[in-house]
Amino acid sequence: MFIRTLAIAACIVATIAAAASAEDATVVLSSYGIAQPQYGKDLYSPFEAQCGCKVVVDTGNSAARLAKLEAYKDNPDTDVAALSDASAAQAAKEGLIEPIDVGALSNFPKLYQIAQDPVGGHFAVGYTFYATSIVYRTDKMPPVTSWQVLWSPTLNKRIALPDITTTQGVPVAYMANLTFNGTMPDMKVGIAKVTALKDSAVTYYPSSAVATQLFQQDEIWAAPVGRFDWPNLKKLDVPLAWSMPQEGQSGGMNVLVLVKGAKHKALAMKLIDAWLSTEVQTALASDLVDSPANSEVKLAPAAAEILVYGPEAVKSLHLVPPDVVLANRAAWVADWNAGMAH
Amino acid sequence: MFGRSHAPAALVAPASLYVAAAFLLPVAILIAGTILPGGKLSAAGYVRFFADPLSLEVVWRTVRIGIVVTIVCIVLGYAMALAIVDAGTKARGQLIGLTILPLMISPVARTYAWVVILGRVGLFNNLIVGLGLTQQPFRLLFSEGAVYVGLVQLFLPIMVLPLVSALENLPADVVAAARTLGADWFTVFRRLLLPLTREGLVIGGTLVFNGAVTAYVTPAVLGGTRNLSLATLLYQQVAVTDDLLAAGVVATILIAMSVTASVLLRRVSTSRDRALTRAR
Repeated sequence: MFIRTLAIAACIVATIAAAASAEDATVVLSSYGIAQPQYGKDLYSPFEAQCGCKVVVDTGNSAARLAKLEAYKDNPDTDVAALSDASAAQAAKEGLIEPIDVGALSNFPKLYQIAQDPVGGHFAVGYTFYATSIVYRTDKMPPVTSWQVLWSPTLNKRIALPDITTTQGVPVAYMANLTFNGTMPDMKVGIAKVTALKDSAVTYYPSSAVATQLFQQDEIWAAPVGRFDWPNLKKLDVPLAWSMPQEGQSGGMNVLVLVKGAKHKALAMKLIDAWLSTEVQTALASDLVDSPANSEVKLAPAAAEILVYGPEAVKSLHLVPPDVVLANRAAWVADWNAGMAH
Repeated sequence: MFGRSHAPAALVAPASLYVAAAFLLPVAILIAGTILPGGKLSAAGYVRFFADPLSLEVVWRTVRIGIVVTIVCIVLGYAMALAIVDAGTKARGQLIGLTILPLMISPVARTYAWVVILGRVGLFNNLIVGLGLTQQPFRLLFSEGAVYVGLVQLFLPIMVLPLVSALENLPADVVAAARTLGADWFTVFRRLLLPLTREGLVIGGTLVFNGAVTAYVTPAVLGGTRNLSLATLLYQQVAVTDDLLAAGVVATILIAMSVTASVLLRRVSTSRDRALTRAR
């Protein structure tokens, strides 16, 4: 009898152990839906081969996935998340993520300074950034050298601007604020300047696809857009250029975070480290998916021209600090709506 | 198995439970979240919303869009439905097929198609400039007018279909009888067609109104985000400011508007009935 009980117990233990190890061999990533086939080729497949595990990906926009992390706070089903820096700052504030032991990441020292601790407390590491600047028609107007061009009569009824809800909304208001010597963090001057264009702007675009279509249809001659749209814009049959205004460019950063209470923490750390590696960052950049945050990445000229690449380009980005975004965005949106209504 | 009196209740129980769990419960949770923020009874979310003059402007714009789109759809819908029912049996099937066809295309694609059609160098402007009707192309995109065009095209089929089915159920010779007795076409419509097709009118009108006030893509893309509607405001509060209380309040207001619209349409369509009953 005793032997039999022992045998049953042993079987149960073995089953649980097997189940646990099968579960251990999975890592759940929450990420943006964009360019998933390229991520599969450049990151997930090589990583899966190396770790002998499986990467399960849950996609969506940053805000929606942040809401999901919040909903599953007590029993997290995600291990690693790729978020905007502002969403990561919010996740840190709400206790949804835990600090990353950056000493354990072999590729951490290779990151550009601004990507090393973007939200503070080592709650996140930057994996890519993008620039925001003005794209314009080279056959319709002289080269753009300043953000002031948005307010020039040449562009009356010929520009589109990003709506405050888009990724580009805050960066563009920030550059307007900088250009017209506004103060931060209230950003009132910048928001007033951008909303003052409401009669001159063809529209405030709700998604970058609309801006692309307006260029294609000859509705607009200039629009501030994110660098990630540049490959699509370059494919259009209209002569376009990316400007480098004297005030500089704005932009944003995407980061990786470790979910608090992650069930597969060891694999999660390995995935983060692999993502930041020179090989993966080079592969993703060469496929024009993400600008590299790893300073050792070397790119061919064709990719380098399209992405934010090199210490100079990275340094020229005027990024809005995520904690400032978090603390002020409700007020900015209220000012924006008021500016639009008047 | 069931007592006779319990049979109907037992039969509808599974469907009722499903509706309660899948639809009513989430709505109840949503509404509860707006009046019990943090577990305490409070109207703070509503007070904050209605204290902002901008909110009232947005509510009014949304109601206006809903009403105009519904009225235009009712007028065009009756015209289309009468034409469809009047056509022969074979043609009727084909016309209904054509009416349903746009419903199979994503609203996003249909909305973007209007960006192409209404653009400065789009189909419409090319046509009127080509015909010499104007020198300068009209600016049609990104206005409230473009939103009306997009929404009417989007929702017209769901107005036409209930009206067609209502008109098909009409006894074949009532119109002829009314005409013989001297009723003009307006009287036929007002005293005969309208009362006899009011179920279709209420169903179609409610669907169109609710669709128009809650639509997000069409107002955002065709209207430009300059003119906030409740749906675009809701999106702002969820995606940018992460203010779930304010978003819940907007969602509750939208639900209230939908229910009100449905009740009002029912009222309007049965008022003649009650007037007649009273007269008797």
